[in-house]
This record gives sequence, structure tokens and C-alpha cells, in this order.
Amino acid sequence: MTRAVHCATADPAAAALLRAALKGLDLRFYPSAAALLKVWKGGGAALIDASLPDMSGRDLVAVLRGAPRTARSVIALAGPGPYSPAAAAACFDNGADEYFTFPPDPGLLKARLLNLMARSGRRPAAAEAPAEHSFGALKVSPEARTASVKGMQLRLTALEFDLLMYFLKNQGRVVSRGVLLEQVWRQGLETGTRSVDKRIEALRSKLGRAFGSKIRTVFGLGYIFRL
Amino acid sequence: MSRRPKVLVVDDEPDYLRIAARIAAGAGCAVMTAKAALEGVALAAAEPPDLILLDVGLPDISGFEAARRIRRAPATAAVPIIFFTVRSEVDMVSEGLALGAAGYVLKPFDPDELTRRIRAAVSGK
Repeated sequence: MTRAVHCATADPAAAALLRAALKGLDLRFYPSAAALLKVWKGGGAALIDASLPDMSGRDLVAVLRGAPRTARSVIALAGPGPYSPAAAAACFDNGADEYFTFPPDPGLLKARLLNLMARSGRRPAAAEAPAEHSFGALKVSPEARTASVKGMQLRLTALEFDLLMYFLKNQGRVVSRGVLLEQVWRQGLETGTRSVDKRIEALRSKLGRAFGSKIRTVFGLGYIFRL
Repeated sequence: MSRRPKVLVVDDEPDYLRIAARIAAGAGCAVMTAKAALEGVALAAAEPPDLILLDVGLPDISGFEAARRIRRAPATAAVPIIFFTVRSEVDMVSEGLALGAAGYVLKPFDPDELTRRIRAAVSGK
């Protein structure tokens, strides 16, 4: 059975590279997120350029992974070179199955995509969550709710762990104290933003200098976490 | 001297309103803000901006409905709209983009990404 690979890219050069790399596969091209969403109802694979004219590829991956029709399909994101482990980690965290940079190695891309497509047919109904996420020396296990740096277990409170997970999920995005209160504390502004600052200070200190410094204060706006 | 592009930010959440306004100003734009959809529609009609950053879940009417009204008014029919919202359901995203949005940005957003999209939209690229 031939399954189509749905490629969303507005860049003709990127499309040409994909055509060359994925020769022999049934390729369909879409110039925007809107065009892909209109046509692709799941099945096969979607290959998404990180910078589409109407949406970021990373946001589109999260949308497709959250949609029942496309949740179990293979979704790959193509970023600009050079390869960045932080960009790759952020994209996997949003639910991508594969991350590669332009220009892709033709043989490798095709083999990985075919492999993922073959396996996707055998996926269980529930999405398999990885037991552990690695961000260099920082390892986080969502199910066990544990985190470690260089093998040393961190003694995080439940709230600090939730805060760390929220930052990892939203790497590179600016989050205000109000949003953290709402999304992590599940409370309104009446709790007071001082408690956010104090908890973040504690998390920074527990993460140690190498990772604590990745939570940056953006003056007047909130915080941003970049690995 | 060329005038600064004007961006209207519509969001009922003060944090996001402030952050988006700051980012738009940082992108070299003059900024107007509104905390509700109808206020935004009225502001856009009175002083047509070069770009509208529009939340979807607004207290009076939805951002999508506001976008339809903005599109219907001749003075604002061609103003690009970027939705910025927490609503990541595929039907919502499809509906927003089908309204002819110049962009759909999920909150919380990457400030660099929003800056790029604002610059591209106001320069017509």
C-alpha cells in the first residue's frame, strides 16, 4: 500500500530538495498550514517546514498531534540548518516523530520516514509517551515525576516539577507570571506574582548553574526558558 | 520620513496584551490596544491599522466574529489579521486560517517568532 507524504512548505528550494530526497514516494505539496489542514485528514505522513507563512511548524505539529484524525500519523518537522539539539528537543516535545534540517541527507531521510510509516501502522491506540526526556545532562521522567542533572536526582516539590515541565514544553516562548499562575498554579492573579518569583528562584537554584541560568527573566514581561 | 506601521492588539488578558504590545513596539510599530472584541472592531474602523493581533477567546464576541466584521468594513477589509490564542484545536485553527488570517500563533508564543510575523505582515511580505 502506498501512503502519501504530505509536505507543507512555501519554499520552492525546500520542495525541490524533498522531491529529490524522497523520489519514488507519493508526495503532495501544500504552500501553507491552511492548505495542509484543508486536505490532510491523517494517514501516511506529514512533513512540515518549520517556518510556514501562516503558522510556525512547531505550532502546527502540536495542533496535528492533538487532533484525533492525525494524532496517530507520522509527523516530521524540517528546521533550518545547522542542527540544533534544543530546537529538536522542543519539536519532539510538541509531538513530532522526526526532526531534520535542510538540506536533508536523502538516503537517511527516506529510510527514517519509511521506517516511521511502517511502524505507525502498528502503533497502539494510546500514544506512547516516552518514559524519560533528555535535555543533555538534564533528564526528566514525566510519569515518575522525577528529574535529574548529571545523574543526580533533584529534590523538586510537586509545584516545581510542574513548573519545570511547563518550561520544557514551552521552550523559547515568553510566559508571564499571570500565565504561570493560571497554567501551573491553576489560580488567578490574587495568589500574587511574588510567589511565582520565589518558586522560580528555588527551581533555578535546584537545577544548578548550567540549567538554572536557562530560565531567564524578561524584564516587565515574565520568563523565557531556552536550552 | 516614512510613518511607523500601526498595530492594533486585541486581548482581554492583561499579561498577553502587554507582552504583545511590547513586542509590536519592539518591532518598530506604533501600538493601539483594546481589551474586548467590539472595542477592537470600533478602534480599527476609526483608525485603520496596518495589522491586527487578535485573541480568539474574547469576552463579548469571539475573535473570529470580530475578524468577520473587520473584513466586512471596506476601510479594514484588507488589514492583515494574526490570531494569537491558546485555542489549538484543529477545527479552530482551520476556521481561523480559513478567515484569511495572515497568521495563527499559539500562546505562549516565541517572542522572536511573533516579531518576525509582525514585521512580515506590516511589510506585506
